[in-house]
Amino acid sequence: MKVAAALEARPLPADTRMRHLRAYRSMARTGLKSLLAYQTSFLFGMLASTFGALSMLYLWRSVLSAGPRHGFDWPQMKAYLLVAFVAGSLVSSYTDYRMANRIKQGDVAIDLVRPVDYQWSRFAESLGVAAYEAGTAVVVALGAAALLGGVPLPDPDTFGLFVVSALLVFPLRFGIVYMSGLLVFWTQNYVGLQAARIALITLFSGALVPLVFLPEWIQVASAYLPFAGMASTPALLYSGSLGGGAAATAVLVQAVWSAGLWLLARGMWSAACRKLTIHGG
Amino acid sequence: MRRTIRLYRRLLGAQVRATLEYEADFWIMSLSAVLVQGIGVVFLWAIFESIPEINGWRFWEVVLIYAFVVISEGLSTLFTQGAWTLAVTVNFGQLDALLMRPFPPLLQVLSSEVGFNGLGNLVLGIGLVAAAVRHVDFTWSPGRIALGVILVIAAAGVKIGLNLLTNCAAFWLRSPYSMFAFSMHTFGELARFPITIYGLGVRIAITAVLPYAFMSYFPAAAVLSDGTARLLGLLTPLVAIYCLWLGATAFRLGLSRYESSGH
Repeated sequence: MKVAAALEARPLPADTRMRHLRAYRSMARTGLKSLLAYQTSFLFGMLASTFGALSMLYLWRSVLSAGPRHGFDWPQMKAYLLVAFVAGSLVSSYTDYRMANRIKQGDVAIDLVRPVDYQWSRFAESLGVAAYEAGTAVVVALGAAALLGGVPLPDPDTFGLFVVSALLVFPLRFGIVYMSGLLVFWTQNYVGLQAARIALITLFSGALVPLVFLPEWIQVASAYLPFAGMASTPALLYSGSLGGGAAATAVLVQAVWSAGLWLLARGMWSAACRKLTIHGG
Repeated sequence: MRRTIRLYRRLLGAQVRATLEYEADFWIMSLSAVLVQGIGVVFLWAIFESIPEINGWRFWEVVLIYAFVVISEGLSTLFTQGAWTLAVTVNFGQLDALLMRPFPPLLQVLSSEVGFNGLGNLVLGIGLVAAAVRHVDFTWSPGRIALGVILVIAAAGVKIGLNLLTNCAAFWLRSPYSMFAFSMHTFGELARFPITIYGLGVRIAITAVLPYAFMSYFPAAAVLSDGTARLLGLLTPLVAIYCLWLGATAFRLGLSRYESSGH
């Protein structure tokens, strides 16, 4: 930890910085490779979330067959849910699970003495994995769209913002997932934490039901919390339900929270290191 | 038979004590279960805020279906969570030790873990039933109550049998993760809603292929005495026996091709 902190404290010479960049790039590749090594498991995991999305789609089809609700008709809702599905697939299969195991078993001690930053390392790995997660999820979403009679194209007016917003989903999800992984330093249990985290994100990000359907206080809370940016914002931009100033503000909130979560995670990491106990030697 | 039950209780009891050593775990698991299922109810509520009924099912009736899922899930995680350890047990060749002991290996596997999230599920599930029966059109009679209790137990049997069946895939897939079983479990979650909302293919799959619908939709229909679904719901105990038999058979077949891990 001392070493890592010292490295961070002073500006790095240019060639060291290049070396680090190379290290992170190969970590991203390694993350992707270890996912591919267990590809069957990953694909079954994807199948599981596909079933989840499918039940939502069918349910909303029944609900909206009677006419639009809260400004959503069936084609819009289809688009909304599928974008939310792709967003929700990011950083969902590797990062926290592996972190939690290494913390529980004490292997994190090895990570501490590595001459690279822990948070950037996990970020790089997750990025490598996310490329594959996003690819698979898009294929699934396109399949589902074909099955359900197609989805409308993205709204051309907000398309630029939609792209920015979609890219910001990654740092937001990484921040939350990374921090929930760090909680294992205190709890030692991860299964329960993970379940609770997934449930909370699912509700507050509007992944199953657009936030306008929820009680007012949840809507207000979600607008200021990082959650809406993890599914609702890009999905609303895609389906054209968010425009003008509100759209720009929502994307700005995403950007601010991306940076904010990163700094929060930094603070949490240094608290966790003081808390760490490694058994045996 | 008495010996079997007694030993099962003892094995499970050992797990309970082991788990309770970590008190924080107990609380995290129980509370997270309540949170997860509670959010499911919030979601249902949000949908019914904008529409009075889905395919003829009103809010509290769907809550009853949902409660059936929550309770079956609770009973199966409390008493037979060990099924989910099969993937690791088989992959690491740990089944060897179990085969040496004078107690059926299947029961040793099933009792090898206790899921305290089941407790949270049970508390919430019973609460949901209590709230739902006050709102649905429902006349109390001793027969009705007895039927309800039998159906809840049978529904849990369906879930336990299917859990075992899908987890037995570990004998063939040999991966240390139970992702196949997990994906089928999520498929089963489709039975949280009236299955009439799905397309024909899904309906057939969830009724006849992996009959998760008998964990919730059909028994709930039987309690509410709702049309043809009710008649099928009365068959739930038979379906439970069939599912448990399927699970046990898959385990037997898997065991016959189990060859430990390389040494």
